[in-house]
Amino acid sequence: MGMTGAEAVRIDRGHRARAVRLAAVLVLSLSAAGCRESTRPAADLAGLPWDSVTARARGTAVTWRMWRGDPAIDAYVDRWVAPRVKQRFDIALHAVEGQGPELVNQLQIEREARARGSADLVWINGETFHNLRRSGLLYGPWSDRLPNAAYVDSASPTIRRDFEQNPAGYESPWGTVQFALIYDSARTPSPPRSYAELAAWIHRHPGRFTYDQSFAGVTFLKQLMYALNGGVARFQGGWNERLYQQASPKVWAWLDEVRPALWRRGDAYPPGVAELHRLFANDEVDFTMSNNQNEVVSKIRQGLFPPTARALLLRDGTIANAHFVGIPASAPNPAGAMVVADFLLSPEAQLEKAKPEVWADGTVLDPVRLPAEWRARFEAAAGDPRALPRDSLARYARPEVAPEYHERIAADWRARIRRRGD
Amino acid sequence: MRRGVWLAGLVASPVIVGLVYSFAGATGIAGFGAHGSYTLDRIRRVLSEQAVWESLWWTVRTSALATVLAGCAAVLAAALFRGTKTLDRAATTLAVLPLPIPHLVAAATAALVLGQSGLLARVAVTAGWISAPAQMPPLVYDRPGIGLILALGWKEFPFLALVAFSVVATRGAALEETARTLGAGPWQTFWRVTWPVLWRGLGPAAVAVFAFAAGSYETAALLGPSDPLPLPALTYERYTDADLARRGDAFVLSLLGLLLATGVVALHEWLRHRVRRLDG
Repeated sequence: MGMTGAEAVRIDRGHRARAVRLAAVLVLSLSAAGCRESTRPAADLAGLPWDSVTARARGTAVTWRMWRGDPAIDAYVDRWVAPRVKQRFDIALHAVEGQGPELVNQLQIEREARARGSADLVWINGETFHNLRRSGLLYGPWSDRLPNAAYVDSASPTIRRDFEQNPAGYESPWGTVQFALIYDSARTPSPPRSYAELAAWIHRHPGRFTYDQSFAGVTFLKQLMYALNGGVARFQGGWNERLYQQASPKVWAWLDEVRPALWRRGDAYPPGVAELHRLFANDEVDFTMSNNQNEVVSKIRQGLFPPTARALLLRDGTIANAHFVGIPASAPNPAGAMVVADFLLSPEAQLEKAKPEVWADGTVLDPVRLPAEWRARFEAAAGDPRALPRDSLARYARPEVAPEYHERIAADWRARIRRRGD
Repeated sequence: MRRGVWLAGLVASPVIVGLVYSFAGATGIAGFGAHGSYTLDRIRRVLSEQAVWESLWWTVRTSALATVLAGCAAVLAAALFRGTKTLDRAATTLAVLPLPIPHLVAAATAALVLGQSGLLARVAVTAGWISAPAQMPPLVYDRPGIGLILALGWKEFPFLALVAFSVVATRGAALEETARTLGAGPWQTFWRVTWPVLWRGLGPAAVAVFAFAAGSYETAALLGPSDPLPLPALTYERYTDADLARRGDAFVLSLLGLLLATGVVALHEWLRHRVRRLDG
């Protein structure tokens, strides 16, 4: 305002000196951040009795990096778990965003920068566990030491193995889920019940089916690979390149065959399951899918899906898996993280999480191992009429196979199916 | 001049840190699978992928079209609504109103309006232009990128309009007055005075809009096609690839994006100097 050119130059000169100083400070602080020593996790935690671990955790803060995409899960963590660990163990629990590939990148960059770890607890499974473990980014072993680990259903193949990997004490189970298609029983009274029937259905209803490009979609493709190649058994026992080379062309052939009848003629695919849910809710397609067989119940309750929406298991089998919590090697507070992980395994926390109106996430505990009082409460909660019956879930459950199958199917799908210009 | 360099350096320091790290990641010095030694293998492999070049071209094309769309609308608005009457003032206020809307919200809104089950499709069905929402031409995840161009054009329009209004007010008004005094008609005044002043004044802002549009992830992720993937979406996909060995590709792609933005800035500078020489 009304400033002369000379005045402006004088002011800018003053700025210049300040700018030089600021730049110097910035460079210094950046290099200082680079040189800071990482806080080593207390290696002696392993030798401490559990009481000492909880004593050490008292009055601390725990940062939990997790997927923050579902209001129901966020509410359970923020408004049910956090106040209880504060009250009982005097631990301030903060859940923040960060999952899967981003989480691996974050921990890797923190290690390269030798910076103080930004997470004490992480929500992981499958290929994330695989990548973290392979890169030496996880602390452990610790999970077998948790007092509540005694109740875990360690006989269940879904829980004992994470994508065929042995958790080996580097992650503690938190919940189980099983893949299901979701449809609207009012719109589609007699839905297809197998991959073969699904292909026929897609041709009869052009433009009304698609799958997403992220985790649920890849699970859908992996199940298709099992179904077209005589079941999951052949794929068990680790990664087998030659078997994959034989088995995967059938998957691409199936997809190519239905492609012209897919939504957008198979030219475009929703990036994630949230977008697929939106297409389903807006009546643009007739199916969506979920890695959690009970998600349909919570989405109906949130008003996102019509009340007539239902989950559907294909007879060829659907993939069941468990999800876990781990502690990064760079965690500033592993003791606090262990106490929180133990609370997550408590019958009380597991029962609350399994309620359809809370999250409807399957428990990892074996009711038989629980004290009688808790056993009764778990049995009583099992029979929600909106959820899929337990026996059919168990009948169609198929295990995850080595994470390389997931990685290769995802990569080859992008190269062979999504790319059409070549 | 030196003062300017220092300040620019300060402002650019986060970019420079990112540039150095991206370069280290692209050449195998840092990041996943780094061996600590310099190699051009990754850069060669990424640049030999046809998908990468298609992605780059798609991003250049849609960003340029969105910039042109926003620029034309801004010029039009600045030329039409420049008086002090109530209508003019209302129009200018209305034009800059969407300025504070975050890009993510703009992109999500565009998806809800332009999708085949969106507001536009429903209006079209109600009006009887089409009989079912599925007949609506795809404007979201579409290969030509119409949805993305419209959303970015709409979102960047207020920014360019704001610049255009001030350019006309500060540099154009007096010159136009002179032109009119010398007997120029309204068309002559626009073509010989207003338009040249506007496009020169809008140039830097348009370059900024292009660079932003080409690098914007949210709009590309929510509205862009699956094939080719917009460059920011492809970069992010590689950065989060399940195969750790491919994550370093993202550094090559970010360098490519940076090169694109730098190239456009350089092109603009060159053009400006040329025009100035011609003028002089």
